Amino acid sequence: MTELADPARIMPEMTSPTSEERLEQATTEDEPDVAASVGDESQEASSVAQSKQDRTTASVAAQDQEEGTSGLPAAKRPKVEPEKKKERRGQSQKVDEDEIQKMQVLVSSFSEEQLNRYEMYRRSAFPKAAIRRLIQSITGSPVSQNVGIAMSGISKVFAGEIVEEALDVCEKWGETPPLQPKHMREAVRRMKSRERIPNTKYKNILFH
Amino acid sequence: MAEVEDEGDYDEDLDDGGGLDASGHGKRKRLFSKELRCMMYGFGDDQNPYTESVDILEDLVIEFVTEMTHKAMSIGRQGRVQVEDIVFLIRKDPRKFARVKDLLTMNEELKRARKAFDEANYGS
Repeated sequence: MTELADPARIMPEMTSPTSEERLEQATTEDEPDVAASVGDESQEASSVAQSKQDRTTASVAAQDQEEGTSGLPAAKRPKVEPEKKKERRGQSQKVDEDEIQKMQVLVSSFSEEQLNRYEMYRRSAFPKAAIRRLIQSITGSPVSQNVGIAMSGISKVFAGEIVEEALDVCEKWGETPPLQPKHMREAVRRMKSRERIPNTKYKNILFH
Repeated sequence: MAEVEDEGDYDEDLDDGGGLDASGHGKRKRLFSKELRCMMYGFGDDQNPYTESVDILEDLVIEFVTEMTHKAMSIGRQGRVQVEDIVFLIRKDPRKFARVKDLLTMNEELKRARKAFDEANYGS
């Protein structure tokens, strides 16, 4: 899984549960909607969380983030192969625990506005049923639950990338949120030029 | 003699809900308005984002899903969308790839935990 901690456990309780407790908490959440709790539980990719933290808590978060993802220096890496695997898992667990603790410290120091925003960031999700219905209307045949889970997760990341880019544009133009359509469109234009937005409408014919 | 442009073509306001909207998609109902508002706030926008921005973002997301679906239909098993296809398409994008892996792993864990929980209830 990711190296980052799981702040969903941190927010309500501010404890450091083990993975069993994490599962137990997860199963006591919305029973009918698996993937919503899946969305809540797993941490967004590090760069998304980082930019969010940059906006809210400046240097502390940036330092924490860098320390967490840098890993251990080469000198500590063991020489023997089977030991290496166990050590690496132990190391990644240790990194995981570190990350969890750092996230706890971070989230516990949020202001109320930051907590609200963080909660929205974690909890918001696309409705899996609607996404599945959309996909099925395109394919014409039913799709599995996992496809719905995967697609709604990716769509959320996609929406986040656009909003982040638009906020960059907004800041660059010396304006303030709320985001206006011109920011969104400029963000889309930039992302298209970096090929971050899929477009199969125009084929590049190389040799005409 | 020349064609008279319809006012509806240039109607970019939301006053006219029945005519063409800014993206020219016609009368499609807004699928994700509420969720997208929360999402935009979570990602850094204002607490009340502009409705036009939410609409643009919704159109972008729907186009994204449509593109991915079409691509997924053309690879692997033709005409079907499977998880492996999505993971394959996403492989170059580290964020999305990591996210999908996490979600699917979590889902498996949850299913296993629930199954164990149910069995424990049944047994004892």
